[in-house]
Amino acid sequence: MTTYTVYKEQLPLLFEKWSEQYALYVPAKLREGFYDLVPWKKEIEIAWDFDVAYNSPKRFLLPPRETLITFNRKTCEAAPVFEAPAQILFGVHPYDVKAVNQLDQLLESGAPDQNYVRRRAATVIMAYEPLTVSPSAFWATVGAATASHGYDLYWTKIGPASFTVEVGSARGEELLAMGGPLLPSTAGDKEGARRAKARILFKARRSGLRYNWEETPRLLAKCWDSPLWRRYSQMCLACGSCNLVCPTCYCFDIREESDDHLEQGIRYREWDGCMLESFAKVAGNHNFRPKAQDRYRHRYFRKGKYIYDKIGELGCVGCGRCVRACTAGIANPLKVFNELWEETAHEH
Amino acid sequence: MNTKPFSPYVPRPVTLVEKTKLSDFVTRFTFEQDNGKPLAHKPGQFVNLSVYGIGEAPFSISSPPRRTHNTFEIAVRRIGAVTGALHALEPGAKVGLRGPYGSSFPVMKFVGKDVLIVAGGLGYIPLRSLLFYQLRHRDEFGRMVLLVGTREPKERIFVDEIADLAKSGDVEVLETVDMPDETWKGNVGVITTLLPKAELDPANTYVAMVGPPIMYRFVIAECRKKGIASDQIFVSLERKMKCGLGKCGHCQINELNACIDGPVFCYTDIEAYQEAI
Repeated sequence: MTTYTVYKEQLPLLFEKWSEQYALYVPAKLREGFYDLVPWKKEIEIAWDFDVAYNSPKRFLLPPRETLITFNRKTCEAAPVFEAPAQILFGVHPYDVKAVNQLDQLLESGAPDQNYVRRRAATVIMAYEPLTVSPSAFWATVGAATASHGYDLYWTKIGPASFTVEVGSARGEELLAMGGPLLPSTAGDKEGARRAKARILFKARRSGLRYNWEETPRLLAKCWDSPLWRRYSQMCLACGSCNLVCPTCYCFDIREESDDHLEQGIRYREWDGCMLESFAKVAGNHNFRPKAQDRYRHRYFRKGKYIYDKIGELGCVGCGRCVRACTAGIANPLKVFNELWEETAHEH
Repeated sequence: MNTKPFSPYVPRPVTLVEKTKLSDFVTRFTFEQDNGKPLAHKPGQFVNLSVYGIGEAPFSISSPPRRTHNTFEIAVRRIGAVTGALHALEPGAKVGLRGPYGSSFPVMKFVGKDVLIVAGGLGYIPLRSLLFYQLRHRDEFGRMVLLVGTREPKERIFVDEIADLAKSGDVEVLETVDMPDETWKGNVGVITTLLPKAELDPANTYVAMVGPPIMYRFVIAECRKKGIASDQIFVSLERKMKCGLGKCGHCQINELNACIDGPVFCYTDIEAYQEAI
């Protein structure tokens, strides 16, 4: 894979040029301890050491609300709506790249979700090696420390003012070349990138799963009736915050609204969450997951087993966002999986 | 060349051609595809129907597959927003349609076998598609036994049709109600009370059942007790199908999506799933 070395002083020109063609998002500090990808502006200060963007990148690919079709109530004709803005996400941590890769697999499989597919195709992902680890993160122990694909460029900060940039796609390389002649990385720079990666991995491994993450589906298969589900879920407020911030939660509801003349209308999808009380409720008020315990367990089975059984990876990338978002302090895949592991320790 | 961009979320127009009241709350709707083509569904599949401005909801197809005709039927209970709006429509009205979606009853497996059809409540609606498809090829199957269970006599649907089936001799019909009134002369009790009367040959019998969630556990247990193997039992499970494409997550049964993996499942395939039955 081609790797180039880029210096900080080259960035303003690159950003300037990119922003002429793309909506460009970069990591910035919102307030103490809260970072996010925000629209780039000239004077913006990039938060190179951000630990996690509090809102996940899924919102760029599967917006909280997205129009799917327009319809005419009189003729009953409907037409698709596709919005796919050209955008660059600069500074996506590898665990979030993994999450996007997972959305790609799940939404493009079977009957491909054309709205997602188009948005994804128009989105450039510039991965960025983290420098700090969020206190609630555990990505290094769930197989999400590195992303082998899914990015156009992969940036690693190797010094106060220098980066190595690994090329992941032709589109990425062209974008990088917009800043002038490219400078192939020296062996020393590549070694610097390797060391930067090792440093962050060392930090990230301090907290994590106490067992090999690949055991999770087998672990869960034994734990359907564990008392843990009740213990944790009895405090669940069914607010869906864990679903909202999760980079791999993609469940959605479909709704619609009409104009004032009740002639034209739009049908849109909206983020939904399996933790909400009504998620599995059908007409006639029969609820297939009536209890918080049913819903809570379903979410962890989905993250730890169902997704794994489909694609061979955990549905949780260890970003730790849900841990921070949960008011009741019960959303915590790390704690749940570790406790289940200990509960069943006599069986290992 | 048709260059219109494709989206799986775009319904196509269909026109309501007939509306027949079946009970106080249930109506049969016959639709015609505006594109002139047959629906090309299989027994057990469902469609997503849009009443624009109100919403979209899934409905089992109640008519058997028709190769040369562009009409199909659904039967609907008035219980929510979309079903309420459907009931307000008059022939000539148009709605949107996506599908057919989902799995179907494996009719080919039933060839040469006895078939037990267990219809609880509104379960007769989707099973009707299977039943009439089989009747079209009646010689290819052994006995056909239909069990119909309803809560109260006034909730019975397709009453004349079921009576005609019994008269024809093609189908052995056994009926029961849970709560009889003065008009009811037949069997009283839940649907499982009919099973012993059916005198089945377990090794040679395939079962297709649709009913309220509570029904499955008991009927399956009875069938198993009679010696019918799990892989001869087929159920159709209702969940909150929304997108119909296995994406939106609402209809999950553990890791299965009822909309693409189901709604029709072989009992062997779902026996191990805690959320299934």
